[in-house]
Amino acid sequence: MPNRLFIWRGELTTRGSLTKRGLSFLSSGMLWLALFLIVPTLVFMALSFADRGEYGEIIWKFTVENYQRLMGYSVFGWTPDYLYILWRSVVVAGLTTLISVLLSYPLSFFIASRPPRSRYLWLTLVIVPFWTNMVIRAYAWFLILAPELPFAKVAAFLGLVPSGSALYPSPIAVYLGMVSMFLPFVTLPLYSSVERLDWSLVEAAQDLYSSRTRVFFKAILPQTLPGLSVGVVLTFVPAMGTFIVPDLLGGAKYMLVGNLIQQQFGASRDWPFGAAVSMALMILTMISLQLYRRRGEEIELL
Amino acid sequence: MRNALLVVMLLLTVFIRTGFAEDKELKIFIWSEYMDEKKFSADFKAATGIKVKIDIYENNEEMIAKLQAGGINQYDIIVPSDYVLPALISQKLIQPLDHSKIPNLKNVEEKFQHIPYDPGNKYAVPWQWGSVGLFYRKDKVSPEAVKSWSVLFDPKKQSGSFWFMDSVRDTMSIALLYLGYDANSANPQELKKAAELLAATKKTRYCQGFKTGVGGKNDVTAGRAALAVVYNGDAMRDINTDPKNLGFIIPREGSTLFVDLMAIPAKAPHPDAAHKWINFILDPKRGAMLSNYNRYATPNHASLPYIIPKDLKNDGIYPTPDSMKRLHSTKDLGKASRILDEAWTRVKSD
Amino acid sequence: MKAAHPVIKSLALGTMGFLYLPLFGVAVYSVNKAEKGLLWKGFTLDWYLQLFSNEWILSTALNTLALAVVSTLIATVLGTLVAIGINRFPWSKKANSMLDIMLHIPVVTPDIIMAGALVVAFGLLRVLSNVFEPGMFDMIIAHITFQIAFVALVVRSRLMSIGHDVEEAARDLFATNWYVLRRVMIPLMLPGVVAGAMLAFTLSLDDFVLSFFTAGPDSQTLPLYIYAAVRKGVTPEIHALSTLVVLITVVLVVGAERMSRKKEAC
Repeated sequence: MPNRLFIWRGELTTRGSLTKRGLSFLSSGMLWLALFLIVPTLVFMALSFADRGEYGEIIWKFTVENYQRLMGYSVFGWTPDYLYILWRSVVVAGLTTLISVLLSYPLSFFIASRPPRSRYLWLTLVIVPFWTNMVIRAYAWFLILAPELPFAKVAAFLGLVPSGSALYPSPIAVYLGMVSMFLPFVTLPLYSSVERLDWSLVEAAQDLYSSRTRVFFKAILPQTLPGLSVGVVLTFVPAMGTFIVPDLLGGAKYMLVGNLIQQQFGASRDWPFGAAVSMALMILTMISLQLYRRRGEEIELL
Repeated sequence: MRNALLVVMLLLTVFIRTGFAEDKELKIFIWSEYMDEKKFSADFKAATGIKVKIDIYENNEEMIAKLQAGGINQYDIIVPSDYVLPALISQKLIQPLDHSKIPNLKNVEEKFQHIPYDPGNKYAVPWQWGSVGLFYRKDKVSPEAVKSWSVLFDPKKQSGSFWFMDSVRDTMSIALLYLGYDANSANPQELKKAAELLAATKKTRYCQGFKTGVGGKNDVTAGRAALAVVYNGDAMRDINTDPKNLGFIIPREGSTLFVDLMAIPAKAPHPDAAHKWINFILDPKRGAMLSNYNRYATPNHASLPYIIPKDLKNDGIYPTPDSMKRLHSTKDLGKASRILDEAWTRVKSD
Repeated sequence: MKAAHPVIKSLALGTMGFLYLPLFGVAVYSVNKAEKGLLWKGFTLDWYLQLFSNEWILSTALNTLALAVVSTLIATVLGTLVAIGINRFPWSKKANSMLDIMLHIPVVTPDIIMAGALVVAFGLLRVLSNVFEPGMFDMIIAHITFQIAFVALVVRSRLMSIGHDVEEAARDLFATNWYVLRRVMIPLMLPGVVAGAMLAFTLSLDDFVLSFFTAGPDSQTLPLYIYAAVRKGVTPEIHALSTLVVLITVVLVVGAERMSRKKEAC
């Protein structure tokens, strides 16, 4: 391509010199990302095909054993344990996302219905937990779910837990923790969309359809789809990869993919296997990334 | 120009943090609640002028993982159990000891000078020994029930909420012993059964899951759980605070015996200070102070006269020959460790 | 917009309550005299005072702060440069989308995968040089890596809202590139840069997963400390510490929000 002069943003310059300048801006940051994000991920991918020595060292010998184990073929015969974990993670993450969405819609509508001044206040209230430490938000549930408080007592009365013990560790505790952790991730982008809702369309739908749900699905949902997509993407895969919540609130009983990976880097000392599991999770991440970019273009999250 | 600035900043950070290796420091990596950290640090500093920094772990595997991830030149003293010594030695994670710097080595009891994994204490010096058992609340479970591990494993006999210990060897051994197998079995079929038993038990209502020995112990003492699998010393300490309601027992199917030792990582920054520490601990009175605090058994022959007499007679701390028959040392499994790790992952993941 | 339906209102308020209930609980029990158990035994600030005399916690807090400051500074510089580079220059559609993907990866990827990849990378780099031991150095690198993306995204969105007109107008008035950058772009970008920096700072302060995998013995941070303590058993001291951390986060977040809203005034 000839290096012709042309005007870019009021400046008379050539494509070549623009490219050079642009690259000088990009280089340091992109180099960093390449070095500490892209390359490690590639190495990680390679590691998933490596072998593990008897005491946990890495042996760089090509093998698909880790993926075989993931699929269930281990020394104990075929057991779908790890597939269960992936499945359970999908279910937990899915339910967490669903509940968060169901709670986010009313919350977004409510905030949008406030006078503009106080909207910022409400949004800030939603954002603060979003940026608060995960560990604190998780262990804070220890207090609420303690045996002395009414919640645990009700559960014991219903026979869900042995009497006198706390409501954690339990699946309920894990879901409570997960939803409270990820709710803001859904609410914030969803609110962006809700704020821009064209209510005239909703009113038109109300004139057309008699049932509330149809109004929702035909008029509201399509308009809020960008925000919703962003929210789902920011919640679903990261939820699958969380390990703090199942660890603290699940008593290491309800393992999610995140716990499995963490365990391989800890007591199990099986980095190659951890890498293989991470790769499985990575594939899901890449899919959801595409979704984010396609559907969530307009959402100014940050 | 911007990039140069970046490089300068990075270099500054490097120098600030990794600059001066302080000579007057000792970094210890040890199990939680294993010694009176404040007192021993203060005493050691008074005796040698070296400052002590303590970092904590909750099980051997976690400690090895940290060493493998780069900790061998960050700690001066580690406290592994005997069965991981082969792993540490073969991977060159610890260094041989210089006995000339440890005159108090002669205080160690005969049998601990010749442990199978390190005869002659070439790499490690005994610290404390003890056993794993069942810590329970007398006001929540009957003394009859706790005589057998079935109070955990048999759904018909479970009567209180409990925690398993988050330690692969100890918990797998207990399951194997309950099923009548050898505590150190490496037979895939037997391991599979043990793993399945643990996974099934984990799903029952009463099982709270897996927690570190100390964590489980704290829960029982606080009344949040009725039973927990813990290390005997931790249990003994808490029983002293509430003897009426707390008890410890080694069920009849048996349990594991451990010897913990002090070792020096291969590239320890202050090996001299480390040797001084080992010698410091082996002092007769110091050894007794240690055991009287953490309530484990001392391998130090010269310390015995200074141990609390009641503890010497306590079967839970110094087991009688009869009790010893039920206790099994954990063995290193070499290549078979891999199968064990896989079984454990299964237990945790199911 | 019309007022909200009462059902919606109560659901919304209920959800907010749900979000804040645990944090509120921690705050309440941080001033409770009782050391164990949940009975209310009177108001006290003892636990907070105890915090300040605990040497280990103070040094941990210092670590956390130092880590956040250093990583934020570097990440803000790098992120801003990247944002300018992406937004102010004509790139082909393919290049643009590649850059976009690279920036979004840290945001969407579960922390644990990034942490695992870094652990492996550092393990290999350690062979080359001793400086890659688990510790402050590693942690700073890890934090910067994901902060760059956030800063770049924030600054980029600010740049997008500034638009090209100002730049074109400046050039029409014969401004040089350097002038445009220094006197026009930077002042306009500044609120975005500051907002990005504050958010990056908060991310670093509260980061757990990356720190967990890259920390060394001397470089524990507050989230790691709280996690280790909580696994053994919660104490009111931890509640006090947590409440403080939350309050600091609130201040930072509100500040960042104010900064990024400033653009409305322009």
